[in-house]
Amino acid sequence: MKSKIFKFFIIIVLIMLIIAFNSSYKSLSLSNISIVVAMAIDTSDSNNMRVTFQFTKPTSTSDTGSNEESPSIINSVDASSISSAINLMNAYIGKKLTLSHCKLIVFSEEFAQKGISDEVFTLMNDNQVRPSTNIVISKCTAKYYIENSKPIFDSLISKYYETYANSSQYTGYTTEATIGDFFNSLNCKSCEPYAILGGINSGTSTSNSSSITNSNSNTISEANTSSVPSEQDSNIKSNESAITGHIKSENIGLAVFKGDKIVGELTAIENLAFLCTKNEIDGFLVSVPDPQDENKSIDVYLTPQKKSKMSTKIVNGSPYVTIEYSFTGRIYSMSSNSDYLDDNMLTEISNTCDAYLESVFSSFFYKTAKIFNSDIVGVGKSALSSFRTSSDFENYNWEENYKNSFFDITVNSNVKSGFLLM
Amino acid sequence: MPDTKISTKEAIMLIISIIISHTIVTLPATLLKNSKSGVILNVIFISILALIVAYIIYLLFKKFQGEDIIDISNYLGGPFLKNIIGVIFITYFVSTGGILLRNFAEGLKVIYFPNTNILYIILSFIITICITTSFTFKSNIKVISIILPIVIISIIFLFIGNLPQFNFNQMFPLLGDGFYNTFVTGLGNIVAFGGISCLYIIPPMLKNPEDFKKIALTGIGISAIYLVLCVATLLFMFSFFLYVDEILPLYTAASYIEYGSFFQRLDSLFLLAWMLEICCYLTICSQFSCIVFKKVANLKYEKPIKLIFPFLIFSFALLPKNVAISRFLGDTLYRYVVLFVVFGLGLLILILANIKKKKEEHLNEK
Repeated sequence: MKSKIFKFFIIIVLIMLIIAFNSSYKSLSLSNISIVVAMAIDTSDSNNMRVTFQFTKPTSTSDTGSNEESPSIINSVDASSISSAINLMNAYIGKKLTLSHCKLIVFSEEFAQKGISDEVFTLMNDNQVRPSTNIVISKCTAKYYIENSKPIFDSLISKYYETYANSSQYTGYTTEATIGDFFNSLNCKSCEPYAILGGINSGTSTSNSSSITNSNSNTISEANTSSVPSEQDSNIKSNESAITGHIKSENIGLAVFKGDKIVGELTAIENLAFLCTKNEIDGFLVSVPDPQDENKSIDVYLTPQKKSKMSTKIVNGSPYVTIEYSFTGRIYSMSSNSDYLDDNMLTEISNTCDAYLESVFSSFFYKTAKIFNSDIVGVGKSALSSFRTSSDFENYNWEENYKNSFFDITVNSNVKSGFLLM
Repeated sequence: MPDTKISTKEAIMLIISIIISHTIVTLPATLLKNSKSGVILNVIFISILALIVAYIIYLLFKKFQGEDIIDISNYLGGPFLKNIIGVIFITYFVSTGGILLRNFAEGLKVIYFPNTNILYIILSFIITICITTSFTFKSNIKVISIILPIVIISIIFLFIGNLPQFNFNQMFPLLGDGFYNTFVTGLGNIVAFGGISCLYIIPPMLKNPEDFKKIALTGIGISAIYLVLCVATLLFMFSFFLYVDEILPLYTAASYIEYGSFFQRLDSLFLLAWMLEICCYLTICSQFSCIVFKKVANLKYEKPIKLIFPFLIFSFALLPKNVAISRFLGDTLYRYVVLFVVFGLGLLILILANIKKKKEEHLNEK
């Protein structure tokens, strides 16, 4: 009898728990949710913001069995807040939006100028939003940006968003900027947030380079380095690049924030300096002036030999920052009369690389300090050891004193040879 | 006759399990907030102090081998004191268990069960404890010995997996808000070793009572390393824990671990391990309460009262009206309760009992 009562009790409890937990599982069921892969936030005339959601559909399979590119759906809503926009969209599509697969959050530059702290905090408060979600500041409207973000080389839009900042590892022209890092920097007294700088390429370059057409009818800027100053290739950023093609959206450069407001943009080469300092790059190509011919440039592929070293001291109330970089390199560009087996020649190229990179890195740091007064690299973290207590550091007010910084940059490159040809 | 005594290894596991269960919820973030960048030095400092306290407890228990705090308080002040100390310890185990459960359940609700009433989430844990406590404490400890290594490995993995995100400069200034804040006001952080309470109860259960010193020091030593790993992970990764409160700070750190596009969202695995650890802790709380009650009420069998304590924990877990109150109870009130019960009352009883013993011995000699 006792055992029967116990069994009955267990069954009642199990039924009770199944009913209690059912609603949570039901709300996450695939038939009740719509998966958002990207979100765009713009200013709106009628309300606080216009939020655009990009949804994905399950991969469609053709009659032949081959997978086709899955289409995405883009819907917008004007609302007073992100949560309200999600709520309105839930009502409109009749399904619950899930942000757990959202790979990209785009803010328009215009919106970012007003400050995005509330939006970032709201998104980080949502447990569905992954900290690894990329954050982009678009120079055009955010909606236009995601409308034109099409995966040409990937079948899935989500895969495209997940991997599109990967080129930062070997070009250094873009960066992986996640909402998790942005949120962390927003609450940091010794660093400032940054985001990927995105835009839509207009097809007309702001540089003076001419274009040639490749076999796929895409156009790329003319690679005639002899007529183009070496800096021109890398002094580009989103919306101002010399690239045109089927992929309309581009992510080149970096959006610099002071607090939660965007204060400036960095070009591709400045972004490279940023990544080298943060030790987030595997290798990169630079065009340095040819020591033998001023009108020519040499393309060198540099890889960091060891991590950059940064130390900061407070001298007469101003931060004095010493940074050391070390690279090894191989020469890419070749001509019939190249002779890279000559040790003196290699030393000369190495010295040219040093001088060139020192000037690039120096200009990057002074730009962030003097023009933007925004410590996106986190120089402040290296200054922490110069203070006795956290209160001393807080009283020093690093965020305002960063502009008084002086930078001593040393680059040691060791250009070894060419690749197959010497 | 079944072997009811616990081995040295199992006793060490028991101590570690009690201490680390609190790190899963808010403890590391609270320590970080109190000591800022000086948290690592502070944790090392309080660990040394906790080892000293554990050693003192061992010395004080030397003259009372095979007895626990209830027996000792009976010796010191008779049944009256025994009952008072018994009730205080039962309230301590039940309330800390209940509040920890509530805080953890709030986190689970936000992360996985948004539409489920918190009552049912808590109830599912309580049902688990009801089942586990119906077994012997010895078998519970054997299960804990299996689960605990998984939890420890999860924290080591959390530390190693997040290494690329670390910025070691964040440990500066080493003294945080200064010497006074780290070593004087930071003394209060010793509540992280509230698991020392276990030392007051386990002596009669030990298979090898002579290993009590080894059990106390090893248990606290391993817990100290664990605690350093937890606070270091948060300190090196995030700046915002100094300014923003998170419901489960270590879960936030776990959500950053990704290996390529294949190994993502490992946080659910961490949460599974931590859920098991919470069950272990609640089982220990319930079993300890049962043992203390049996002694206080002079009961021969404990089986009929075993289900009372899970339901008392359940009631305590339901007490807070909202997260703010449960957080206040879990952070602020817990601090004072641990300081009073574990580092105040427990030690005081032992010291007074030792003085009484010494006096008696002195009189006997005369």
